[in-house]
Amino acid sequence: MKSFRAATAASLLAACAGQTASAATGNVLFNGTITATCTITINSNGTMTVSANLQSLSSHNAGGSAGSAQVDTTGGVTLSVDPVTSTTVPASDTTATTWTPTFATSGAQTIAETGTATALTVPGTSTVAVNLDGTKSGSNRFSAGNYQATVTLRCE
Amino acid sequence: MRTIGTLAALAVALPPVAATGQSMTPMRGEVRSFTDAFAVRVFPGNPYDQRIRVEVHVYDQDFQPIDARITPSVFLLAGQASRPVLVVVPFDGASERKVRICTESIPFPSEQTQIRAQICGKFFGHRRS
Repeated sequence: MKSFRAATAASLLAACAGQTASAATGNVLFNGTITATCTITINSNGTMTVSANLQSLSSHNAGGSAGSAQVDTTGGVTLSVDPVTSTTVPASDTTATTWTPTFATSGAQTIAETGTATALTVPGTSTVAVNLDGTKSGSNRFSAGNYQATVTLRCE
Repeated sequence: MRTIGTLAALAVALPPVAATGQSMTPMRGEVRSFTDAFAVRVFPGNPYDQRIRVEVHVYDQDFQPIDARITPSVFLLAGQASRPVLVVVPFDGASERKVRICTESIPFPSEQTQIRAQICGKFFGHRRS
C-alpha cells in the first residue's frame, strides 16, 4: 500500500514537471515632463570707476568690477538686461548720462558680452558677468559724489 | 465668493512643483477660465541662505504693468524657502490674455551697482463662455 502511494505521488510529480507556470508580463510606462526653470543667484554687485577724462563711469574702467551672478537652468529660457531706469547721482551732476548695461556668460553656455536678449539653450550652471557703462558726451563730466544704479538681470 | 472659489480651483489645476532653490516655478502655463479672470499660483523661491525681500509683479507682453490681484505681492522670504503666491489676472473684456508674472528681488541692496534678479514666467489665459 505504501509503495502504491509513493508510486502515485511520483507519477503525479512527473506529470507536473513538464508544465510551466502560467505568467503574464506587462510594461509599466513612466512619463516625466520638465518645464523650463531658471534660478538667478547674485554672487556680487559691481563697482564703477571714473575714467581719466571724467566722461565714463564704468565697471570696465581700471579698478572697476563687473557684477556676478549664477544662473541655473534647464534651458529653454532667455537671459536679458533691462535699460537702466533707476539711478542715484550727486546733486552737482545735472547733465545727462547714457547708461548701457551688458552681460556675458561662461560655464554651461558661453555668451559673448551683449546687451541683447539671448537664449539659454544649454542646461546647467552659467556664470553671468554684468557690466554697466555710464557715459557723458560733449563737455559734460561726471562730478564728485556717490552714484548708484540698478541693473535688472532677467531670465524668462 | 463663488468666483474666488472657482479661481482658486483653476489655480490648483496648474501643476506647480515647489522646489527649494527655484526662483519661481512654474515658468510656463496655460489656464482656461469660465469667469472674467484667471488665476495662477506661482512659487517664488529664495536660493540664498539669507532672508530676502521678494516682489511679484504682473506685466503684459510689452512689460507694461497689469492691474492684477497678487496675494501677497511683497514679502520676506527665508533662506532656501519658497512660498505660494496667488495671482488673479482680469481678462479686461478679452477672450484671451498673455501675461508675464515676475518675481523680483535685490539681494544685496545699498551698493554702487545693484543687480535686480528678475525671473519671469509666461502664462496664457483663455476665457471660456
